[in-house]
Amino acid sequence: MALRQHQRPDSWEAKTSGSAKYTTDLRLPGTLTARVLRSPHSHAEIRSIDTSRAQSLPGVKAVITAADLANRCYIHLGEGFSDRRALASDRVRFVGEEVAAVAAETPEAAARAIELIQVEYRRLPASESPAAALKARAEKLHQHADDNLALNISRTYGDIERARQRAETTISGFYRYAPATHLCMEPHSIVASWDSHKQRIDLWVSTQAPYFVRKEVANILELDIEQVHTHEVAVGGGFGAKAKAGTHEALAAALSIRTDRPVRLVLDRGEEFTTTAKRHGFEIELTTGARRDGSLTHRDTDITVDNGAYNHSGPSVAVFATMLPGSLYRVEASEARARLVYTNTQPGASFRGYGNAQMNWAMESQLDELAEELQIDPIDLRIKNAHVSGDETLTGWRLGSARLVECLERARDEIGWNEKRQLAGSGRGVGVAAAIHVSGANAFEHSEFSGAALDVNEDGSVDIRFAGADAGTGQATLLRQIAAEELGVDFDDTSVTMMESDGTPMDLGAWSSRGTVWSGHAMANTAGTAAQALKEAAAEKFAVPPQNVRLEDGQAKCGEDAIDIGDLVVLINGADAGSLHVEGGYLTDVDKMNKVTGISHFSPNYAFAVQAVEVKVDYETGKVDVVDVVSVHDSGTALNPTSADGQIVGAVVMGIGAALGEEMIYEGGRLINPSFLEYAAPRPTDVPTIRPIMLDAYDSAGPYGAKGLGEIGLVPTPAAVANAVAHATGVRVRDIPITPDKLLPLLRDSIEALNAIRRPSLWWTATIRALYPRGLFYVLHRWGTRFARQARPAPVLDLSAPDGIDEAIAQHRSDSAFISGGTDLLVARQQGLCSPVRLIDLSTIRSLADLSDGHDALTIGAGVKLEDLRRHTLTSGDNMLLEALDDLANHQIREMATVAGNLLQEKRCSFYRNGFSCYKQGGWTCPCYALLGEHRFHHAVIDAHRCQAVTPSDLATAFLALDADVTVSGRHESRRSVPIGDLYSGPGESVLAPDEILTSVIVPLRARRRQSAFEKLRLYAGDFAICSAAVSLEIDDGMVVDARVALGAIAPTPYRAKRTEQALIGTRLADGSSLDRAANAWAQDAYPLADNGWKVDAACGLIRSALRRFT
Amino acid sequence: MKVDLVINGEAVALEVEPTTRLVDVLRNHLALTGTKDACGRGDCGACTVLVGNRAVLACLTLAARVSDKVSTIERLAEDTTSLREAMADHGGLQCGYCTPGLVVRCSQLPPGPKTRDQVRWALAGNFCRCTGYTGIVESVMDQLGEC
Repeated sequence: MALRQHQRPDSWEAKTSGSAKYTTDLRLPGTLTARVLRSPHSHAEIRSIDTSRAQSLPGVKAVITAADLANRCYIHLGEGFSDRRALASDRVRFVGEEVAAVAAETPEAAARAIELIQVEYRRLPASESPAAALKARAEKLHQHADDNLALNISRTYGDIERARQRAETTISGFYRYAPATHLCMEPHSIVASWDSHKQRIDLWVSTQAPYFVRKEVANILELDIEQVHTHEVAVGGGFGAKAKAGTHEALAAALSIRTDRPVRLVLDRGEEFTTTAKRHGFEIELTTGARRDGSLTHRDTDITVDNGAYNHSGPSVAVFATMLPGSLYRVEASEARARLVYTNTQPGASFRGYGNAQMNWAMESQLDELAEELQIDPIDLRIKNAHVSGDETLTGWRLGSARLVECLERARDEIGWNEKRQLAGSGRGVGVAAAIHVSGANAFEHSEFSGAALDVNEDGSVDIRFAGADAGTGQATLLRQIAAEELGVDFDDTSVTMMESDGTPMDLGAWSSRGTVWSGHAMANTAGTAAQALKEAAAEKFAVPPQNVRLEDGQAKCGEDAIDIGDLVVLINGADAGSLHVEGGYLTDVDKMNKVTGISHFSPNYAFAVQAVEVKVDYETGKVDVVDVVSVHDSGTALNPTSADGQIVGAVVMGIGAALGEEMIYEGGRLINPSFLEYAAPRPTDVPTIRPIMLDAYDSAGPYGAKGLGEIGLVPTPAAVANAVAHATGVRVRDIPITPDKLLPLLRDSIEALNAIRRPSLWWTATIRALYPRGLFYVLHRWGTRFARQARPAPVLDLSAPDGIDEAIAQHRSDSAFISGGTDLLVARQQGLCSPVRLIDLSTIRSLADLSDGHDALTIGAGVKLEDLRRHTLTSGDNMLLEALDDLANHQIREMATVAGNLLQEKRCSFYRNGFSCYKQGGWTCPCYALLGEHRFHHAVIDAHRCQAVTPSDLATAFLALDADVTVSGRHESRRSVPIGDLYSGPGESVLAPDEILTSVIVPLRARRRQSAFEKLRLYAGDFAICSAAVSLEIDDGMVVDARVALGAIAPTPYRAKRTEQALIGTRLADGSSLDRAANAWAQDAYPLADNGWKVDAACGLIRSALRRFT
Repeated sequence: MKVDLVINGEAVALEVEPTTRLVDVLRNHLALTGTKDACGRGDCGACTVLVGNRAVLACLTLAARVSDKVSTIERLAEDTTSLREAMADHGGLQCGYCTPGLVVRCSQLPPGPKTRDQVRWALAGNFCRCTGYTGIVESVMDQLGEC
């Protein structure tokens, strides 16, 4: 019995030991490195491209532009939606669009060649949002799309007029779902190798769908699909990002054909963020109607989908989205209108949920609002309207098994619903949401079929061939389980080869949750055919009817007779004739998706899921923590329970990320958070143990009763979280992610700062801030940046390792930099913020790494690793430092980074870091992008002038509250001591001369003796602070006699909240309201930006939280 | 510049640039491709290796500054068979791309029972997009025991 039980994942040994080969690991001899030249503009005409200097660079083997390719677009959905060329010809439509590609002998030559290609652009007005694109005079992105509408449809199901009349109550709302990125661990990558003799191209590509890659490469390069071959590689994640062809495969293939060499193209992480197709952002106007008893009458939906610059799967996502309001629950009618709007931003495509994530967010949030209006329990309301087995939805989905009610009841029990609903308004709450999803969609050419092949060998082993790819979903394992089950062999006697197009029946790949059902059926049929052949051969040998033969333990048996199946193979084929080779497949009988009416039964069966979530909300900061999740699934039979659980848990956590942190933030069409650091996806510390429950039911349309599972776990998560937050607090956020800036203002009144008019010291800043949106920003951005200092990247020519501090200083030149941990310097250098030619390594200087704790002062050498300091503070009693270090980055960073490096690290403003020519990057003629741009989390609320950034170091904040001094060594053996409060001259800028070295930090005994606490608000554990509070109090008999309150990420430099300190002195710890007043006292001096005033309140909240911990 | 490294117990002499990264030495010079370069900026943990006894990020380590012996997944796999089997049994891996870095990190966990919270914080430097972390934590708990 190989099915319905745990099996170790296929290739687990190779994956856990590092021997599994991903595309990025392949090393074919003679491989060239390819790189892509990308548009810096969000909308522009290309006037000319000159590749001559790139072509003549030594090591460069080929440079291609649109002129070198046929006049073809990617097929994508076909049917008139094809709108994207492999390389831009006359126009670029988003920042990052491919303009040219090079192949060179080395990565360095390829990078240099890219820089040498000269493109003349004429900029065009850009629409960076659907609202902008829909304006009457907006520039048209595509000739074929009037009003920038790639699609404009309306779908009506049922008698909508009647249903609207029958409604006794309606709830309306506007919901927004931010665009998100897949964040696969393995970036998009390909190795393409053209064989000019055989006129074939071999591809090793990180993909979920080898067939679509073959199809597009053949299309773009005018080859026959039979000339394009894919090969097996391990694939590092997909989630829909790799469900169709991307935009790198055809380029690599083209370069390989041109050079007659293998070509490797791997996107770097920045490109992965900024150029791969993302999840479409949705804006949804939704009305739900119901009778007083809770039965749903109708939904009216208006959807605006941000398509981005090209279609990809946009039209399909939009069409699917219009079906969902008529598919979730029994509802009498539904009308859904969808506008798919072209914008000059990164295109969207498939992403786990495919429009269902966004639609469910709105529908299930609103259903709870309806429940509240009708005073019906949210679970009861859902049960009342739930589909049951045998139902057909308004959209024509014939449900087969539908155990939604059971899921709801189970979720209710598991989360402790009845008990926990009493918590309403307490800051803890529970919420629930339900979803329906397909098990694959018969929506494209060839999608009705999935094929498989297997060989039964003479030694009794079974080798499977399957043309699709397993990006981590467990499909490979499942195929082996099915073969083992049908053929009666041990799981370990099976193997599977995925992705090899040669000699393998067709499969379209893993997307739309089709893997289990489509490939499961294909494998079951194929293995069943093989089993039948073996039984018939055995039956003949045993002289019994075939139905009396059973296959088990690697043999065919009947009564006393038994024969190894390997011997049967010889019998069937004759000796020396090899294996028993069987090909088979699954040809579905479901409808092809009807894209005109939207009514069709296009999936064999439909899965259901219900999530119950418990949250805890911090009323001081607006931070939401998910403390428990139960995810109950009707996905039919659980064919591999561990694998099924894994799909559920992974999808739920992605959903939590979407609910609470993940959003792609753009400025002028450029993504400003293109890194793991800046994009708040969950780390292990940000989510609880997720509890997956498979009802393990049986659906007759599925292989062994199974249904799809890969996507649905994500779908109801955001609404479940929002519903739990609403239960916990009484307030509802309809715009995800629900970050603290959105929630806190709804939870408490804002603390008022004194108006700027009454503070003359602010008049100049106030004037500049007033002028920015009135033309000053535009002038600085459009014209001032032309005079920006250009980052001049330079190779490092020298790395020295001095033995002592004075020797290190003596080596310093104007083009030198000291390097200690390197965790900031090397990244800053990549980002063009510094370009030292000489590096002076301080890690070799032993004295800098001394940590001396004589139980008086704590003397911390500048070179002490953060993790070593943290370990020391576990027992030294310096609990403020311990608390700061526990939530500082992560273990590996702390093992590398040093105390001084942490204090002196560069500012973290995303504009500064990601190549915007801002005031600090480019000089005084340049603007500050944060002033009018994204500034909710990491910018100052007090004392900021031309730059709004903050000093990122948490240790600086803690040391400030601990009265620390730093010691500095300079040229000619000079020594000085600087109080930490005087160390900074600006955000991430110190008073140190370039040739000075910070040598130690000294925390005096008096400060160490005080009680202290460190509180921090951040989007994910270890992230840079949104704000932090370091509170250090001397307490005498319950009264505060001395106080230090330092706030981090509040001002350009660490901020002493002196008004708060003064107000605290003389206050009794028992006097809660005086403590609160004192905590808020500093806030009157704040002068926040338009969207970060909430941080003032959050920081006051952190101080209050800290104060509550003192005794 | 010339550097002498000890990688997985073997002495290796290399010619590198000052800014040659350890991850490139491992993957390109030595064909040890188990260590992955998933972000190149120290944000994700997929390139975690041991330098001495410290679990550090090879993408931010300059090869020329390494003075301690280096251990990669290729060597550490031998010492972590039990953990790796636990990962295979408890849903601790799916696509596998983050897995080598995770196994290396786990090899440095202090022995003895832990709470799940402690394990989560210890592994905060290893990003995973597939598993949602529950299976990883259970795998480690299976090995270390619960307290």
